[in-house]
This record gives sequence, structure tokens and C-alpha cells, in this order.
Amino acid sequence: MSTIIIDGLSFALPLFIMAIGAIYSERSGVTNLAIEGLQGFGAFIGALFVVLVSGNQGTNSQAVFYLSFFFAMVGGMVYALLHALLCVKFKANQVISGVVINILASALTAFLTKQVNRGVFNQPSDKFQLGVSNRYTVPVLSDIPVLGAVFKNIYPFEVIIIIVAVIAWFVLYKTRYGLHLRACGDNPHAVDAAGRNVGQIRTAAVMVSGALSGIGGMCFAYSISAQFSGSIYVGYGYLAIAAMIFGNWKILPTLGACLLFGFARSAGYQIVQILEKPSSYSDLVMILPYLLTLLLLIFFSKYNRSPRALGEIYDKGKR
Amino acid sequence: MKKLLVKILGNEKTQFIAIPVFSILISLIVGMAVIGLLGKYPATAYINLLQGSGLMPKPSYSAYQGMLTDFTSFLNMLTPMLFAALSVAVAMKAGLFNIGVSGQMLAAGFIATVTVGYSALPSAAAKPLVILVGIIVGMLVGGLVGFLKYRFNINEVVSTIMVNYIVQYLTSFFINTRYMDQISRQSKAISGASRLTLMDVPMAGLQVDLPLCVILAVLAAVLIRFFLDRTSVGFEIKAVGANRNAASYAGINVGKTMVLSMMISGALAGLAGVTYYLGYLQSIQPKVLASTGFDAIAVALLGNNNPVGIIFSSFLITAVTKGSSYMSSASGIDPEIASVITGLILLFSACSAFIRYQVGKWKTELEEAERRNADVNNNH
Repeated sequence: MSTIIIDGLSFALPLFIMAIGAIYSERSGVTNLAIEGLQGFGAFIGALFVVLVSGNQGTNSQAVFYLSFFFAMVGGMVYALLHALLCVKFKANQVISGVVINILASALTAFLTKQVNRGVFNQPSDKFQLGVSNRYTVPVLSDIPVLGAVFKNIYPFEVIIIIVAVIAWFVLYKTRYGLHLRACGDNPHAVDAAGRNVGQIRTAAVMVSGALSGIGGMCFAYSISAQFSGSIYVGYGYLAIAAMIFGNWKILPTLGACLLFGFARSAGYQIVQILEKPSSYSDLVMILPYLLTLLLLIFFSKYNRSPRALGEIYDKGKR
Repeated sequence: MKKLLVKILGNEKTQFIAIPVFSILISLIVGMAVIGLLGKYPATAYINLLQGSGLMPKPSYSAYQGMLTDFTSFLNMLTPMLFAALSVAVAMKAGLFNIGVSGQMLAAGFIATVTVGYSALPSAAAKPLVILVGIIVGMLVGGLVGFLKYRFNINEVVSTIMVNYIVQYLTSFFINTRYMDQISRQSKAISGASRLTLMDVPMAGLQVDLPLCVILAVLAAVLIRFFLDRTSVGFEIKAVGANRNAASYAGINVGKTMVLSMMISGALAGLAGVTYYLGYLQSIQPKVLASTGFDAIAVALLGNNNPVGIIFSSFLITAVTKGSSYMSSASGIDPEIASVITGLILLFSACSAFIRYQVGKWKTELEEAERRNADVNNNH
């Protein structure tokens, strides 16, 4: 039981932070299919920082660990600027832009990883080796039966994510900026009439989504494989988008969707182990979260409503 | 400079071709700069790309190899890409975003492999059957997505992503437990009779791989174009894509049209699947989705969702991809640079709306300036 909670959380939370990023962008009216590319590029910059300071063997220094998240954020943010530029300034179709950003991200990071490995470390390798992340157990709280597992063996990034998520929630729902952002997604003309710059708000929102995706990508790089390679692009970004739509573009329901993905996944693995089936059966139970989502969507999609101006290029002259 | 650009790109009748070509040229120039920065000759690299795709002769060939060999294997790679991009385009015309082409491809490829690919049917029966199975399976999966959208309002982006995962893990399970080839760690190879590509056919003293379905793919593009532009159902699909409410007000059954367009899209994805897994390849690697389905989105958009445009855009993107391995062996450039160039091409094409807007703006500016000059001259 506790393994299910521990593994489930370590998968669900990175997904959640990426989904919050997607919410920021989409609530401001910019369709963001680029999450997949943003998380990969963010993780690449974070990993690049790690190998540049500590060599390509990985390190266990905690300062490097935390700083790598900072760099992943910056990397995701700068790369997201490209998406914002295309969608806001260049009036590109936002779906096209998202897909292009993804393709370019996986191409660029694969290319640059090889170049850096050859140029700096003089070895042909297509991955960056990171250190193994420490894991903590909170002393007293973890002794609570069942739920105590939440405080057992936690990755430090889970704490980072929770702090960032709370801030993101507060900003989106309780501040003036958040109000403007949400208004941009439903009625950008009203925002313009109120004297705010729609393009600026949207650009900022897309950059936030890049930064948060970068955190998510870095988490996956650390928790799943302790390295950065092309295997980061296996669709976590798309899964986060699915969670966001499932959560009806709201932060708390999206958390529920992410937890569902995470727990169904870890429970599936656990069931295979308990039943002592060969590992190929884990593929069968891995279907569970996705099948469950489809079934739940059948009941909940009636209430699903996307932001009204989502995907529309803002045109001042349009009424 | 402004004048020149307006002259080249400003004509509204030729814009549909001039602007994409212009963006592709810019991206190729940027690509050259990247290659130049790596200290290699850009022109050589591009020639290598064309040589690798069989579009230009290589300096030397090994036995039974020739330009034709490279070109047919290029066509072999092109076929699934063309089908997949058409699939994306048809859905897009109806306002639906089919991000699940890869999943539909895998489903069709897997079912066709286990039903026909492992049977002992003779070639004449097996090949049409593979195509048929591909179409039907793809159509069912696509139709399911359309039905979920129509009946339960499930966003097609989510449902196709979910279906992608479900298909991926389900096929992986069956391959791992039943159809695994222990040496290659992939599914067992299909029978030669069912493979849609004829391998090592002797022709003109060379051995070439003949992709049989490439003709079918080009035909499909023409058919889809006819269907969308010249039939009432095609018109309904486009009307639904342009404005769902207006279409519904005009008496079009929006739900039915969406399901139909997803079924067509799925069928095309199914064809992409069988030509990929039972043509270009002959086995399935478990737990991996073909990137073709995702690249096809970009290819479709590069072709402006126009079936004929897609023939050209898939040609271009496949040439870059196919040629990259020869480029890396001939001039020592990482093959990854090819995907960077592809990304750049797509990036600049995404800006085509902006280019059109900017050129239009410059055009009016220039015209106004001219008029002012004319006025000044007249007054004197």
C-alpha cells in the first residue's frame, strides 16, 4: 500500500506541475500542445548545468540538485518564449506552433546533447548522466498508518512542486494578474478595453507554463532514469494536457486527474507483483489509468468547457 | 528589399505557393548556417541529403545498388508518411485534431500482422487483405474517437492520447507474451507474401525494394481532394470545420459528420499503419509509437491541409529524413541535424500567416507612397 502511494505521488506531482503550466497558458487563451517540448527542453538545460559543473558521471551534491531545477525553469521559460512569439506576435496557428515546438525540441536536444558530449567530454554519448536524488522521510508523520506513506521516501522535488503549485494557485485565482489572465482566455476584448495589454499577459502566461513544465521535466529526468536522454519524450507532456482537460482547466480537479494517473499506475505495478505474474503483465495493468480516464470522461465531459477564446489569435479590430 | 519581397510574395494568386517556398528557403539557409558553424560545407550536406534519397546520383555504389535503389526505398518511407498526413488533414478539415494517428497506425498494423501477416495465405490474397484489415481497424478506432466526441462531448485530443497509450500497452502485452522474436526483441517477422513492399526485386541490373502502396497513397491524395472539393459530404465536413454552429443551423448533422470524418481519418491512419509495419518494416517493436504519426501533423500543416500540397510537403520532409543517414556517413555530420532542419522548416512555415500579413502591410504602404508621389508630380 505504501509503495503505491510513494510511487504514485512521485509520478503524479511532476505531471501536476506541468498541467498547471498548461492551465496558465490555456486560461490566457493560448493553446499549448508544446508542453511536451517545453518539459524536455527545460530538463535538457537543467541536465546541461549538472554535467557542466560536475562532469558526466553524475553527482550527489544537493546544491547542484536544487540549482538544476532553477536552470530547468529558466530553460523552459526561454524556450516557451518561442511559442509565445509565434502565437502572439507572429499570429501562427497555435496548434501548429505547439507541434512544431515539440518536434524542434526533441531534435535540438538530441543534437546538442551529442555535440556537448563530444565537445566537452570527448565521448560519443547521447545522454547526460545525473546523480541520484536523495529521498527523505519525515520522522513523526510517516508513522501514521496508511496515510503516513505520503511522508515516506519523498523526493525533495515533491516539496518544491507543492510550494510552487500553491503559489501558482494563489496567483491564478486571488491576484489581479490572475484575473486578467483568466479574462484573456474568455474575453480578450474586455481586457483590452480595461486598458491591459493582451499580448503581454499571454506572453507572460506562456512563459510561466514553460517554467513550470521545465520543473516537471527535470523531475522526470531525476526520478525515472537519473539521466537526460531522448527517453524524456515519451508523452508526459501530452498526458499533462489530458489531465488538464479532464480537470476542466481548473487547478484542483486537475490535481485529482494527475493523482488518478499516478495511483492507477503504481497500483497496477503493485498488483502484478502481488499476483507474481511475469513483468509483461504490467503492460496490461498500465492500460488501467487511461481506460479509467476514458470511462470517467464519459460521465464528466458533459460539464467540460474550454476557455471561450482558446486558440483564437487576438485581433483588436474584431468584434 | 521591401519592394523585392512584395513583388515576389505580394501577388495574391501565387501566394499559396510563393509563401511556403519562401519559408522553406529561409529555413534551408538557417540550416546552412548551422552546418557551417559545425565547420562543414553546407552545400555538400544538402547534396548528400538528396543523394541519400535517390534524387541525385552518389559518387559510387556497391554491387546491385544504384540511384533507383535509393529512390524506391525513399518512396517506401514516403508512403506511410503521406497516408498519415492525409489522415491528419481530413480530421483537421472537420475541425478535429487527430493527435492519435500513431495509435491508430499501431492498432491497424498489429491486427493486420497477427491476422494476415502470420497466416500462410498466398500473396494475391494476403496483400489486399492486409490493406482491407488496415482500413477497417483504423476506421473503427477513428470512429470510436468520433463517437466519443459526438455522444459524450469528450475532447478528441484527450481521447486520442488515451487511445494511443491503451493501444501501445495492449499490443506490447500481446507481443511480449505471444509473438515475441527472442533475438530481435520485436514481434516475429511477417510472411513475405503479406508484405506490402516487395524486397530486393531485380530491376535494371539492380536490386530494389518496391513499395506497392505508394501509388495507392498518391491516388488517395487525389481522391480526398476530389471528395472534399467536389462532393456534398466533403462540403459538409468543411462547413463543420469552419463553424460548427453555422453548419448546424444550415441543417447539417454535425455529430454524424464529425464521426464520419474521424472514420475517414482513421482509415487513412490505418493505411499508414499497414504500409509502415507491414511494408516499410516487417515487425513491430513493443511499447514504441511510430513518430510518423506526430511528424505527419506538421507535414499536413506544411501542406496547408491541402491533399496535393501534402504530397509535396511529405516529399520534402521524407527526403530530409531519409537522406540524413547518408549525409552523416558521407560528410560526418550528425544525422540529428536533419531533424533540426525539419524542425526549422516547420517553424518558418508556421509563420506563413505572419509573412502574408506583413507583406500585405508593406504592399499597402508602398502603394500609398506611390500614390503620394504621383499626386506630388501631378501638382507640379
